[in-house]
Amino acid sequence: METHKNILTEPIVEMQNVCIRYGDDPEVLSNIQLCLDKGSFHFLTGKSGAGKTSLLSMMYLSLMPSKGTVNVFGSNIGYASRNTMAMLRRKIGVVFQDFRLLEHLSAYDNVAIPLRIRAMNENEIQKRVKELLSWVELDKSMNKLCSTLSGGEKQRVAIARAVINRPEILLADEPTGNVDNDIASKLMKLFVELNKLGTTVVIATHSKDLITEYNYPQIHLENKSLKIIPALRRISR
Amino acid sequence: MIGQFLFKNRSELPLKEDQANTFLEISIVVSVFLFSITLAAFFVISAMISSWNKSIVDGLSVQIMPSEQVLSADEELLRVGKVIQFFEGFENVEKVIQIKDSQIQKLMRPWLGQNVDLKELPMPKLLDVRLKNGKFFDYDKAAAQLKDVAPYASMDNYAIWLQKLVKSASSLKALSVFVLMLVLITTSFSIMYAVQTSLKIHQNIIEILHIMGATDDYIGKQYAKRIFIVALLASIIGSILSILALLMISYISANLDTGLIASATLTHFHWALLALLPLPTSLFAMLTALISVKRTLGKII
Repeated sequence: METHKNILTEPIVEMQNVCIRYGDDPEVLSNIQLCLDKGSFHFLTGKSGAGKTSLLSMMYLSLMPSKGTVNVFGSNIGYASRNTMAMLRRKIGVVFQDFRLLEHLSAYDNVAIPLRIRAMNENEIQKRVKELLSWVELDKSMNKLCSTLSGGEKQRVAIARAVINRPEILLADEPTGNVDNDIASKLMKLFVELNKLGTTVVIATHSKDLITEYNYPQIHLENKSLKIIPALRRISR
Repeated sequence: MIGQFLFKNRSELPLKEDQANTFLEISIVVSVFLFSITLAAFFVISAMISSWNKSIVDGLSVQIMPSEQVLSADEELLRVGKVIQFFEGFENVEKVIQIKDSQIQKLMRPWLGQNVDLKELPMPKLLDVRLKNGKFFDYDKAAAQLKDVAPYASMDNYAIWLQKLVKSASSLKALSVFVLMLVLITTSFSIMYAVQTSLKIHQNIIEILHIMGATDDYIGKQYAKRIFIVALLASIIGSILSILALLMISYISANLDTGLIASATLTHFHWALLALLPLPTSLFAMLTALISVKRTLGKII
């Protein structure tokens, strides 16, 4: 197993000998070693069923490993209380492949959720949400129920919801899959900007174009194990 | 503060549309109605017991029937002294006073008229047994013992009968407390059932909220807020229905004109308590929901 670790920077996610198994089924991931440094940017690649979603779920603290140790922000999640887990999750932004928006709420209310959970002042919430929705070109649809939005609009709402909190880790599962090239490029720029501000970014993708264009290292999953494919070159963005 | 809690934050959970709400509303209306009626019964029974106790705690009368044989003055004194001694033996008896014959005659005069020579008639002796204030006196036991010691003496029947009535009423009072507890437990279970059903229905949304960093407390407060509103509206309806029923019962009982039950009326304070019942009910429902959410979330998610 290969361990990716930059000793000069602070590790934000650490996995040691991690295995994931659902019930009595065979292991999905086996003996995983991973260390994500603060401010790093990785693509998460691998074929369908390779365990990308499971690995992401563990990173956003929704799945506990069946074996091994996972440390997030220095806390061993196996020993963390429910409240500690909640506080850790507040530092993580997640974009789901199926968006997982609350369909009965408006785009505005969906994006406002992470801020309301933090009990932020409603005026500040309004200011931040409107600004971000305007940036993702959803200012005219902000009061529409999510159930009435198109796939691309839903994806932008999901991304806005994930980044509104200025998270320390951003985990995205195929975030540009349902949007046109212009929007995809704009969203990638947003992720890059957030990364420059210190956010650790992991993007699960099948898009070879995206991986080639944004030449970041890859966390590649294959045959239940993980390997890091380093970035080959730096391109100017 | 409650207003701020109820109206400030919006709920991410679509709890208004929960089907369990209707079940909960009906359950709370019925519970509050039963609780209110039982509580009123408790107040009335307590008032009656207190009033009856007041009548019997002061003291009791003992009647010593005249002997069929002619007795000397000493023998007569011995007979009476035996009964006095018997009552003085009780810890809760303060003193025993023998009512003078002249006083008894004075009491009897209106009944027998002026032409009868009362001195010629066999008059009973009367004892006034004063009890220590607030101390319990077991009339049944004393009456049984007196029968053995001095079968010619008898205790005031009214006090014994009243104490039996107090005992029965106390059982009813205990029963009403049991019913109140039963209603509370049933309501708690209804709320817990409604909350657990709702948590299962909204499990996906709750999972998303958890992933975004919501604590169990954050989700619990949304349920608490919703259940408070549902319980407040339902308990106001239940309370109004029960007050109407009680007013009707009061009207009917007022026309009955029964001496003993006459004291069985609710005071203004009792009416106020019954009218305010929706508030503690809603708070109770809210707390039950909050605890139930926290406990259930720990198990299912």
